[in-house]
Amino acid sequence: MLDERSDITPGVSLTQSKSVKKAKKNQLPFGIGLFILIFLIGIHLSDVSSKLGLYWLIGNCLGFILEKSRFCFSAAIRDPYLTGSTSLTRALLIAVAITSIGFTAIKYGAFISGQPIPGQSYIVPVSFTTAAGAFLFGIGMVISGGCASGTLMRVGEGCQMQIISLLFFIIGSLWGAHDWDWWNRNFIMKGKSIFMPDIFGWFGAIFIQLLIIALLYIAADKWEKIKLGGND
Amino acid sequence: MELNKNKFFKKWIKNAWPYITGAVLLSLFQIVMLASTGNPWGITATLANWGAWIFQKIGGSPEQWYYFNRPEIQSSFEAGFFNDPGSFLNLGIILGALLATLLASQFKIRKIKSKKQVVTAILGGLLMGYGARIAFGCNIGALFSGISSLSVSGWVFALFLFWGAIAGGRLLKRFFL
Repeated sequence: MLDERSDITPGVSLTQSKSVKKAKKNQLPFGIGLFILIFLIGIHLSDVSSKLGLYWLIGNCLGFILEKSRFCFSAAIRDPYLTGSTSLTRALLIAVAITSIGFTAIKYGAFISGQPIPGQSYIVPVSFTTAAGAFLFGIGMVISGGCASGTLMRVGEGCQMQIISLLFFIIGSLWGAHDWDWWNRNFIMKGKSIFMPDIFGWFGAIFIQLLIIALLYIAADKWEKIKLGGND
Repeated sequence: MELNKNKFFKKWIKNAWPYITGAVLLSLFQIVMLASTGNPWGITATLANWGAWIFQKIGGSPEQWYYFNRPEIQSSFEAGFFNDPGSFLNLGIILGALLATLLASQFKIRKIKSKKQVVTAILGGLLMGYGARIAFGCNIGALFSGISSLSVSGWVFALFLFWGAIAGGRLLKRFFL
């Protein structure tokens, strides 16, 4: 069984991929024990508030899915440049396409029934800060070997490095929060939030979005063939 | 163990899933999030709250900062860790990953191999934390949720993220590999 491991570990040469995990001993009993614990915590949280229980459930499912599918978002962005592989990139594009359709349907449904559009919290002003923050994040995720979801996932796997990464992620977040006012006054509040349906209409927006994704997908596919050649 | 020979066990518990399976299921849960909570998936705003709560415990006053008085942030910040859904989401991700690892008998403490790893973990973590705060999120929030929400900010984030990743790759090659 060949697992596609696209993790790059600093300090370890590029050609030496992270060692394929060998089953050391049967950990299934621990897994079942943990499952029961997770379940019990879920029951308790739901007693406190159904919202907490819901988020706990979704979080565990997301963690499980991320881990089982080895879905590293940072590798999806990094690998085209670092290794030439775009398999994760293309998977991410598919995820964005499916999610876009689902999100748009939900939002459109709310819109036409006169209700406030849910989930607009990530429609944020485009400004120099968007670029600066993304750029810094891009550097950080590549040198640390994982972004936020990847870091959480690897903490769950037992990776010591990601525990340090998470700790400093928290510190960096606090630092960013401290400086947020400055970025807001100088750049963010001067930027514009652009919700694509406002410009292109609902159907126009989703069409353009899917078109962009399709073009990127084709480009990513060609890129890998050029860089790695031959079979996928 | 008989279980190891079972087709279902092998495919869904033991072996890794194809990326496309991950893509479809992650999309499903994004949609579940939006439909059931009114908000898409995000990770890093919670991490800033964690930092602030820890800072308060050691004597700091982040509640005086502009950021923690923003309407979007204030209520979750003031409610505290044990009432914060985002905190349980993030903890859930860690435990869900751990669960998957244990069920496949693949859990292993992966020790740090070199000082370089410590440096990159520290530097990388700081850059990610800071960058995500000012850019309103990370690969999940700003990129995955942002683009899927049909926001131009998501695409702009993706573009500069990609360039940052290239810069990070060059740094890695020059100093850390």
